[in-house]
Amino acid sequence: MSRTLVTGVYLSHSANNHSHSIDYKDIYCFIQNVPEITKIWNSSENPLTDPEHFAKEIRKNNIERILIAAYRPGFIKPFFAKALQKAGKAAENIILADIFSGIPDGMPLNEWAKAKLICALSGIPFDISLLSEHNPAQSETLIIGGGIAGIQAALEIANSHNKVYLVEKTGTIGGHMAMFDKTFPTLDCAACILTPKMVDISQHSYIELMSYSEIKSVLGIPGNYRVEILKKARRVNVKTCTGCGTCAEKCPTSVKSEFDQGTSLRKAIYMPFPQAVPNKYLIDADSCRYVQTGKCGVCVKVCPVENCIDLDEKDQIVEVTVGNIIVATGFKPFDASRMEQYGYGKYPNVITSLELERLVNAAGPTGGNIVLRSQDKKGNWIFDTDSPQPKSLALIHCIGSRDENYNRYCSRVCCMYSLKLAHLIGDKIPEAEVFEYYIDMRAYGKGYEEFYKRIEEEGVHIIRGKTAKIDEKNNRLLLRTEDIENDRILEQSVDMIVLAVGLEPGSDTDKLSSMLGISRSDDGWLEESDALSNTNQTFSGGILLAGTCQGPKDIPDSVVQASAAASSVIQSIMQKGVPKSLASIPLEDIKQKAMELSALNKD
Amino acid sequence: MNRIDPDFKEKLKPFGIGNWNECYHCGNCTATCPHTEEGFLFPRKGIRAVQMGLTESIHKNVDPWLCYYCGDCSESCPRDANPGELMMTLRRYLITKYDWTGFSRILYTSVPALIIAFILVAISIIGIGYTKNFNVNSIMEFGHQFELIAILSVAIIILLPNILRMLWFTLVKEKVRAPLLSYIIGFGDLILHMFTQKKTLKCEENRLQWFEHFILVLGYLILLFTTVFLNWFGTESIYVVFLGYIVGAVTFIITFLFIIRRIRKKSEISKYSHPSDWLFIVWLFLMGLSAFLVRVFIDLNIIGNHLWLYLLHLIVLAQWAVLIVPFGKWTHFLYRSFAIYIAKIKKEVLVKQRDKGIVTIVT
Repeated sequence: MSRTLVTGVYLSHSANNHSHSIDYKDIYCFIQNVPEITKIWNSSENPLTDPEHFAKEIRKNNIERILIAAYRPGFIKPFFAKALQKAGKAAENIILADIFSGIPDGMPLNEWAKAKLICALSGIPFDISLLSEHNPAQSETLIIGGGIAGIQAALEIANSHNKVYLVEKTGTIGGHMAMFDKTFPTLDCAACILTPKMVDISQHSYIELMSYSEIKSVLGIPGNYRVEILKKARRVNVKTCTGCGTCAEKCPTSVKSEFDQGTSLRKAIYMPFPQAVPNKYLIDADSCRYVQTGKCGVCVKVCPVENCIDLDEKDQIVEVTVGNIIVATGFKPFDASRMEQYGYGKYPNVITSLELERLVNAAGPTGGNIVLRSQDKKGNWIFDTDSPQPKSLALIHCIGSRDENYNRYCSRVCCMYSLKLAHLIGDKIPEAEVFEYYIDMRAYGKGYEEFYKRIEEEGVHIIRGKTAKIDEKNNRLLLRTEDIENDRILEQSVDMIVLAVGLEPGSDTDKLSSMLGISRSDDGWLEESDALSNTNQTFSGGILLAGTCQGPKDIPDSVVQASAAASSVIQSIMQKGVPKSLASIPLEDIKQKAMELSALNKD
Repeated sequence: MNRIDPDFKEKLKPFGIGNWNECYHCGNCTATCPHTEEGFLFPRKGIRAVQMGLTESIHKNVDPWLCYYCGDCSESCPRDANPGELMMTLRRYLITKYDWTGFSRILYTSVPALIIAFILVAISIIGIGYTKNFNVNSIMEFGHQFELIAILSVAIIILLPNILRMLWFTLVKEKVRAPLLSYIIGFGDLILHMFTQKKTLKCEENRLQWFEHFILVLGYLILLFTTVFLNWFGTESIYVVFLGYIVGAVTFIITFLFIIRRIRKKSEISKYSHPSDWLFIVWLFLMGLSAFLVRVFIDLNIIGNHLWLYLLHLIVLAQWAVLIVPFGKWTHFLYRSFAIYIAKIKKEVLVKQRDKGIVTIVT
């Protein structure tokens, strides 16, 4: 049996967003009772300024190894390596205990920290101590969100002949990808990749698609979740609607199209876009004249199919029982009007990247013609196909990303989609001058750097420097930027400015995370159970993450994660078991198991 | 060739604190600033120089003096790196760099030294009062002469050589060659900016602040003029007395507002206060207030029984004149105006060089 090493513990008193609710004294006493621990440093009394100070105490107490108990302890490991080295000890004898991260909702914080400490002390990875029992699993799966990630996961699970319920909030599946014209870096047509998959979904015998529906409640245990789904009244019968569009033609109410990002108008009875799945109409209750005032009903009169439109249809609640749930709720684009210096919403030709995406799209409001906004007779700013084209455009990167005032994280896709948009602008308006203003060019993926070089060679002016403000002068937009590489201030007039907005967690993330009992990381995205080795699982057994709901990512990465989540689901169906939720496993058991395992190790 | 001082960041610490290491050089601050133009790109390049320890680049640039600290850059900085406060910190640093005596370095970096210096001045004044047997008339006589002598000697012994040093670092050493005429014409601008600070108006946030500052500068200068040249405390002229009252009140009321603002820390400009900022504003306040009260006491004819008030005023005045004016924040008044002067000359040279094709600047 190997000798236990004399251990010193550094206990950090900063625990992300849990700091205030942790009883450090209790943890301190707990550590004190471990026999091999001879010294405990509280971070509050021992600032990490001088390794020499720690080295002295290491020598004095004859400490052989150090346990760092902290939130993200890896950050301070080098400090202690230095201290051990100065004390003449082996610098590799450091164990890290990430005791304050990934705490599931409702978990007693101190017990959690103690269980993790015991695992770290016994040298047993926390995850391994968990690999205990599984709950028996239902074979049905619920997928929340019908974007590319949800679609991919649904198809993979359904292809293994297991039932999938795919719940989508809007009237069609497809998500953000359906709005894109081309994808980077191959410039493939997004719709050509996506729409066949969407059709597959609608025709698959193992998939039950519930569009225009939301999750109302989730009950039960891992492997056997009872989920209430709110089927919002579509007011059009999906089975009998032929999608002829006569109703929309006659409908008197027009509102901004969500799918077109407000660049076009749709009717109160509408199909989100021509390739929508299900390819049927629906009524938006908020704008429908009949629903709001009780007077109208034109659509019912003109509809050629009998009893197809039921304006008085009510919402329904259906209940399903599933073994696993995949969350694929995606993102929402950053609201550019929050950054007042760029005048989004104030200057008509300052638009977001997603709006440009719709303009470039041949199926978009202008038929793929990039035009300036103009005023119609009523004075509304619209994109009219006959309006003049912009002769110069600027794209500004990092809107709302990498910014302490908004979101600190990098949204990962903006550099690449901006380059792609620059290319597409050149395609549509060859004589246009395109300028890109960036902070750092993050072309990190396969073929991405090459794509960047290609766009640069195409003649797009790529300028290092973040634009500070946009003003309107003589009907043109004036930007002021420091051109860092050329050591000058650029004051430039352009016709149109595109803000490369970042990604933010979807608006329902809060509701969903508390309903499913999954935690969120400090930037708001849903939290995976391990950032390196378990990127699609959560601490709630049988609840998996796919796509951008877990963090910003591009299409290839979303698809990869969706496949991974599908494979976890299929694995659990084959094993006929779903891992238990961490919150439901008594921490005592974890400690017990860790000690057993470590005893086995030593024998 | 530029030498790199790796410890420069540490050396700068006593002059001001900010997260300058956080900067990722997006250039937002430089582009936000209404004062930046070709050849004068700040604060970002200043941050670069500090991060890399390019001391020569810092010494030769007048950029920090062209900043009027509206705080826009700090507010919109995506890294919370306080570029505006860096400009202020560099101004404090440059004051000590220009000072040939090295005394301002001691006062800026050591609070104990500062306190000792202030106490010594106070003791000297009381000592002088003692030698005059605390006689009101002779002390006031002395006080009046002292002001005149202090102003002249500080200007000749300290301020003038320091200005020359500033010109040396920024123009002569950099071999900026401009025609003599532009040196002469530039002086007009210098005087204009010295008394109006009108460049501040470019900062949108600062309009009201500029007005207050303008009134304060005016008030301070007139107060100086009234006490030194019109002998406010000794005069019988009702006009002079009245004028002195107004400018005295203006000085202490506006400085009081400034003090409140620094305590509240609401705007970027008043968020970070270095001891030198506090000294400047508090002493200006005390000077205005004590001068005002002294004249009130004279008019009430009770100054004879309340000599302490005049002594207090004299102490504040002496500390102001021999410590804050030559070595402290007061020098902003000079360096800023000269910086505009220097910048103008540099820019002329730059434009000329560009026309000749020596420097290529694309716009």
